[in-house]
Amino acid sequence: MNVCPRCQATLETPLACGACGALLAAVGGPHADPFALFGLEPAWALDAADLKRRLLRFTRLVHPDFFATASEPERHAAESASAALNSAYQVLDDEASRADWLIGHFGGPDEQAERSMPRSFLMEVLDWNEALEAARASAPSAPERQAIARLAAELGERRRQVFESIAARFAAHAAGERGQLAPARQDLNAARYLDKTLAEIAGLRVAQSLST
Amino acid sequence: MAFIELTVLNNASRQTAIGIDLGTTNSLGAMWVDGRPIVLHPEGENGYVPSALHFAEDGRILVGRAARDRALIDPQHTLFSIKRFMGRGLADVARDIESVPCPVSESPTGVIQFEMRGKAYTPQELSALILMKVHDMACRALGGKETTRVVITVPAYFDDAQRNATRDAARLAGLDVLRIVNEPTAASLAYGLDQRKQGNVAVFDLGGGTFDVSILSIEEGVFRVLSTHGDTHLGGDDIDRALVAVALEDLARTLPAPALRDPAFRQLLRLAAEKCKIELSSAPEAEMHVTLPESGMQWRRRFSREEFDALAAPLVERTIDACRQALADAKLERNAIDEVVLVGGATRIPLVRKRVEQFFARKPHTELNPDEVVALGAAVQAHVLAGGTRDILLMDVTPLSLGMETMGGAVAKVILRNSTIPCSASEGFTTYADNQTGIDFHVVQGERELARDCRTLGRFKLSGIPPMPAGMARVAVKFHIDANGVLTVSAKEESTGLSARIEVAPMNGLTDAQVESMLKASYEHARADFDQSRLANLKVEIGTMLRATERGLRNYRAELDKETLRDLEDAMKSAREAAERDDVNALQKARDVFERAAEPLAAVMMDSVAKQALTGKRLDEV
Repeated sequence: MNVCPRCQATLETPLACGACGALLAAVGGPHADPFALFGLEPAWALDAADLKRRLLRFTRLVHPDFFATASEPERHAAESASAALNSAYQVLDDEASRADWLIGHFGGPDEQAERSMPRSFLMEVLDWNEALEAARASAPSAPERQAIARLAAELGERRRQVFESIAARFAAHAAGERGQLAPARQDLNAARYLDKTLAEIAGLRVAQSLST
Repeated sequence: MAFIELTVLNNASRQTAIGIDLGTTNSLGAMWVDGRPIVLHPEGENGYVPSALHFAEDGRILVGRAARDRALIDPQHTLFSIKRFMGRGLADVARDIESVPCPVSESPTGVIQFEMRGKAYTPQELSALILMKVHDMACRALGGKETTRVVITVPAYFDDAQRNATRDAARLAGLDVLRIVNEPTAASLAYGLDQRKQGNVAVFDLGGGTFDVSILSIEEGVFRVLSTHGDTHLGGDDIDRALVAVALEDLARTLPAPALRDPAFRQLLRLAAEKCKIELSSAPEAEMHVTLPESGMQWRRRFSREEFDALAAPLVERTIDACRQALADAKLERNAIDEVVLVGGATRIPLVRKRVEQFFARKPHTELNPDEVVALGAAVQAHVLAGGTRDILLMDVTPLSLGMETMGGAVAKVILRNSTIPCSASEGFTTYADNQTGIDFHVVQGERELARDCRTLGRFKLSGIPPMPAGMARVAVKFHIDANGVLTVSAKEESTGLSARIEVAPMNGLTDAQVESMLKASYEHARADFDQSRLANLKVEIGTMLRATERGLRNYRAELDKETLRDLEDAMKSAREAAERDDVNALQKARDVFERAAEPLAAVMMDSVAKQALTGKRLDEV
């Protein structure tokens, strides 16, 4: 782990020193390692509560509110450091984006490379879309709406399984097994279909609760 | 000595900043004093500055209470609710324009201009006048202690153009804006909820003209906004309008149509409705009454609380819908909310309180005056920003997604709504023709799929890309939304590392050059005002000097030598002539020459006074 160039204290984050409060050179940017900004090693397993505590602790070091009357370069540094932290948190906190980043980081295929989904899966996607359309067109108490609630539960369960599979792939990859990243990418692409449908169901439900 | 004073002064001003709630109806300043936020009001005044402007016949502009009072007599020259026009174009405010009594136009950059008594004013300039009034009020309350550092609140739903307009207004008012803060977020700070170790808060802000609801989580003194939702056209004014509509329907039977349309009469009705609404918040029934113009006849109508609730119910339900949406965005259930904070005058309406309490199943906080909560919260944030404490931290979000128009008019989202700010995102671009050196793009804000349904933030022109074959250039455009919620854009060509140039054409906003020139004009204006008062003072002074010298000459002419006397009489003549004209510099010079020429006479007079005193004469006999 690095040390602060000003006070030599051990750094928890490369963005700022928790001991002397020094803002360090911005290492942000979209290509920066989000794990490194949080003082973590790139790995799938992540303690969400710990991550949030780190976010709050590090934000206290770099937030522009604490540099409002500082010099222009310091204000600028605080803005970049804070933005880098927020972007990194977004990547890490969300399972799908964390998996996406890790697959890329470990040299796996990108989203476009594993685009082809099994035909059976695509047929299922078509079924979900039909159910959604039917629910949209029906009255609030219609059976189509009940069906959509069941579908949401089913897809939620499927999503959980997909991420269990992804977790297993990352564990195997970490143990040195080869050929884990391409299937992880396929799982992730399936998760995107599930998420898109789940988001549409959620939107429909908010719209429904608004209309009743 | 001077140095020490300066240090003390600097320390004092470093620790202080004023929080200003620049409201649609009223504006208010507050500050952190002795461990808590207080509203700043001079002795005997309540500190509220009605957000109104009156353009007097003599060219003066009245601001605040004086302006609001003039509205009844001269509504044609009085403007209200300027905030609605901040950062907007004519097309955005068609509904609000109806209530504006003067001609309204749009500048080439899409800034609205109000034409009053032959002059055009932008909303930025008018808001600057209101800010100056609030600042002046605050400084008087502080006993003349000056600080130009301020935090200004805006509705959470304000987009980039509206935030920039607010910032420009503050610049025009000569204020140093430490931060633009969202109103509901500021409100959450006012109640000292940071004392809570952990919890979720809903801030329900129903003002005169706008509605916002924000969901925040509090953890170890950090306030993190999870989601925010709202309606820019929903507020207590809508309830006034509903009451006015009832009145008009009734009055249409007795009054001719032109009388119903008369702006002064409409204003009377509006005030009567507002009064009735306020009374109904504490009484089971209230009367709305107006004196009809010309006939002098009284129109009266009693409203029961039930009738009123029926009128208000549709509006209240819209606010509850927004609460549902905000909860969904925050991924929280209703019962996860631990505290509910009410903000805005319209939350005094019992029906509003009842529905909010029902919905969240929590008794909302009402201990603080809902009209003051935002200013008080802004004062807490101002205290943090001025370096007063590190115990409280606000992590706010951007309320609207930021995107770019792609081929075919769709929007590619670059930063999603409810992202914590500050935040950055980069997008890559390339060229589609050989040796192409520029790319145009269109940045929009909003949630809709098509660019034309979103709000244009600006059209950017990227230029200075080094000539290379099509598709070779790798231009990275970086978007940064800062802690004020304001966007900046920068670009770099990655293969060469060259910075590309970005030109921004602000939409419904002032360019920096325009703000500069307005500032210059206001300095020149101030300079002219200053000259005017100096001129008047010099004239008075010369008049006094002339009278004193004439009296002195009557008694002591004989004691002055010929040359001195001639110089003095010449100087008096020049001073008299200069006083006839309005040249400050000439007047100042004539005064100085006169003063020097009169010195011998003054000496003679002093001498004589001393002698008389020695010989025992009383001074008044001299």
